[in-house]
Amino acid sequence: MSAFDLLMGVLLIASALAAVTLKNAVHAGLALVANFLSLAVVYFALEAQFLGWIQIIVYAGAVMVLFLFVIMLLFDAKADVGLDRLPWMRPLAAALAAAFFLALAYAFSGVGPVNPLADVKLGGGLPKALGGLLYGNWLYTVLLVAALLFAATVAAVSLVQPQIRKARVKPQVLERDRELEEVGK
Amino acid sequence: MSYYLLLSALLFAIGLYGVLARRTAILIFMSIELMLNSANLALVSFARSSGNLEGQVMALLVIALAAAEVAVGLGIIVAVFRSRESTSVDDLAEFRG
Repeated sequence: MSAFDLLMGVLLIASALAAVTLKNAVHAGLALVANFLSLAVVYFALEAQFLGWIQIIVYAGAVMVLFLFVIMLLFDAKADVGLDRLPWMRPLAAALAAAFFLALAYAFSGVGPVNPLADVKLGGGLPKALGGLLYGNWLYTVLLVAALLFAATVAAVSLVQPQIRKARVKPQVLERDRELEEVGK
Repeated sequence: MSYYLLLSALLFAIGLYGVLARRTAILIFMSIELMLNSANLALVSFARSSGNLEGQVMALLVIALAAAEVAVGLGIIVAVFRSRESTSVDDLAEFRG
């Protein structure tokens, strides 16, 4: 294990912890951006260069900007609202997460080593090597994902469509109604 | 045991803690993104350890799925906020309305 591995591990865990514990929602979002960027660096080290760039463009760029827009649109950036329904929720959540980590670590214990410095032929994870697979064996999966993205776009637009407003009543009509009401009295 | 796989398990557990402990829908959603990313790290590590590029192809597809999920999820959060004036998951515990 090299110094690079240790540094990236510390960065990833620290930014992830900040993203799930910070009280200010904008700060949490920015910590998540830091997490995604360090993950992209790890991808570069693990010979997944194309994936690393996609991670930066799609996640750190598009997805997180969307998140920050919605946070700033909806809140005054408070992460904690209301009261805890269960006062011991946080320790319970931490205990469950720790148990899940132990289970995952046990499940991974049989897998061989992943060494970023070893000589493995992955073509650097460049589009030249990935494209043959994406448009070969995985073609139908790619088409399905494209259909799903299209459906999700349509769903998102129709979800946030503004409500249909009632026809605007002219002020003259309101005035006449009020006068008629006064006459009626 | 592999270092990066252990790291991905730890990131997944941190994301799980976020999903359980956060009270606002949008922050729960951000923790889910963290969990998706840890799964991607595991896939890339598997590709690296077995010398097989298909793990990276799968990670690419997961990123595309996450983009679709973010579009729909944030749309739902904005729509819920319009009708309830809140995105706290405790306020959304009733079916009515």
